[in-house]
Amino acid sequence: MSENADSMQTRHFLLRRLHSLTGIVPIGVFLIVHLTTNSTIAWGGLNTRAQSEGFGWMDRAIATFQHEVEFINNMPLLLLIEITLWAALGFHSVLGVYYAISGKSNTGAYKYSSNFRYALQRITGYFGIFFIFYHVATLRWGWTWLVPGGTKWSHEAASSTFAAAIQGSTDGFTPVGFLVACFYFLGVSALVFHFANGLWTAAITWGITISRPAQKRWGVICAGLGAGLMLMAWMSVIGFATLDYEQASRVEQILHGEQIHLNDEPN
Amino acid sequence: MSEAEAYSYDAEMRKANRAKAVAGRSVIFKIKRCDGPGKPARWESFKVPIEEGANVISSLNWIAANPVTIEGKKTTPVVWESNCLEEVCGACTMVINGRVRQSCSCLINEYAPCEGDVMTLEPMSKFPVIRDLWVDRARLFNNLTRVKAWVPIDGTYNMGPGPKESHDHQQMRYALSECMSCGCCLDACPQFIKEEDESKWDSSFIGAHAISQARYFNEHETGKQLKADRMDALSGAGGINDCGNAQNCVKVCPKGIPLTESIGAIGRSATIHAIKQFFQGKK
Repeated sequence: MSENADSMQTRHFLLRRLHSLTGIVPIGVFLIVHLTTNSTIAWGGLNTRAQSEGFGWMDRAIATFQHEVEFINNMPLLLLIEITLWAALGFHSVLGVYYAISGKSNTGAYKYSSNFRYALQRITGYFGIFFIFYHVATLRWGWTWLVPGGTKWSHEAASSTFAAAIQGSTDGFTPVGFLVACFYFLGVSALVFHFANGLWTAAITWGITISRPAQKRWGVICAGLGAGLMLMAWMSVIGFATLDYEQASRVEQILHGEQIHLNDEPN
Repeated sequence: MSEAEAYSYDAEMRKANRAKAVAGRSVIFKIKRCDGPGKPARWESFKVPIEEGANVISSLNWIAANPVTIEGKKTTPVVWESNCLEEVCGACTMVINGRVRQSCSCLINEYAPCEGDVMTLEPMSKFPVIRDLWVDRARLFNNLTRVKAWVPIDGTYNMGPGPKESHDHQQMRYALSECMSCGCCLDACPQFIKEEDESKWDSSFIGAHAISQARYFNEHETGKQLKADRMDALSGAGGINDCGNAQNCVKVCPKGIPLTESIGAIGRSATIHAIKQFFQGKK
């Protein structure tokens, strides 16, 4: 084999396997952490340590989420972690699209569930890229012109500003805001599927699952993980889409130790 | 679900059709025709009286003897390829009612039980058409040479008897040995794309049949001498990593070969091969 063919072969193998690996580490691991954090808006009420005077279930959830966001914001080398994630996402996306367009789906003729998952893996990939771009651009890079209502997300008022961004205003749903919330719902669903199914195929790619029963067993585990993540993803989106801006804002102010004057509060 | 069950996922439908098949009926054969490479395709329909036990080949024979379309227009006999007529050679593989399979084992009673039912015949979709239902499967065989799907026995001296093989291992390899190179796995594969440019064959996706045959010969006590060469080929462009895990291959395989298990096994071999190359490879 010529040297050129050799390096081509090595490069091809490396790129393919790195594509598979980056989907799990760091992207998949981050997805799990991210959804766990975000879903605190739905279950953070369980967190009794977030208790403060007069706090109800939702207040504790808002406080828990705020605490988590600040913890992440205070992590050392945060920018490095972010850049690693963006690079991994960019790499996985570009190669993923390149690989996806090399295939030609045929679910019309061959209606097998695995064939539908093959097609869905690619569709959710395309849609996921679009969603992640919007998500990061609006909330991290501050492209507020893409946010209905123009709310700029702030880590100091994490729940309230995100609720406003996903609802379209600080005063509940606007029609466009509702579309954004639906977009979020579809986006997170697509990405959770993409991760769970990718985890299943990665085990075949790396040669971890070989026999059909092994692939089936691993499939059950991936489906279970996917169902759990899907639940957290939906809880997150629904939690923020139904969050009351005023209430969230009030809790955040308390957490920042600011004096609040309930009587003076504008309605 | 076993491979055999997966293959016959529509077995219930076919069984029901067999039970209600009407004797003395005629069936319409809608055939995608093409006069030669690069020529445009066209559809022609033929009304064929169905005899007891008729299959697609016997119906094509009837059409060859009576090449008149349903509109009464005289046409050329339909060209197809067939050989063994018992589903072990793969030559008569074609797309029947949208799905790839062998035509010799395709009973009309199972697909078109009633008067006027339509059977649609098309050539395989991933290979160049030579004429009508006859395709050139050269790429399929080319891909077997990419992975050196053979046992190296030629030499200057007698290599003696091979090592003993366990019963279980022999059974596993027997299943892989049943491949007849028909190409069903390729036709149903969304990653195996039709490629008429021969110079691109060696970098395009190799297909499940060659991956499974590479495993078959890697597992052979003498054949494994070429394992490194096979894994080199399978690690490169168009190799094992280009598989998209749609797993259609195993479901359309008429021999029920565990193709997806072969893909997993070769994936594992490729992982190990790469680690070995990294730590002890000379290249």
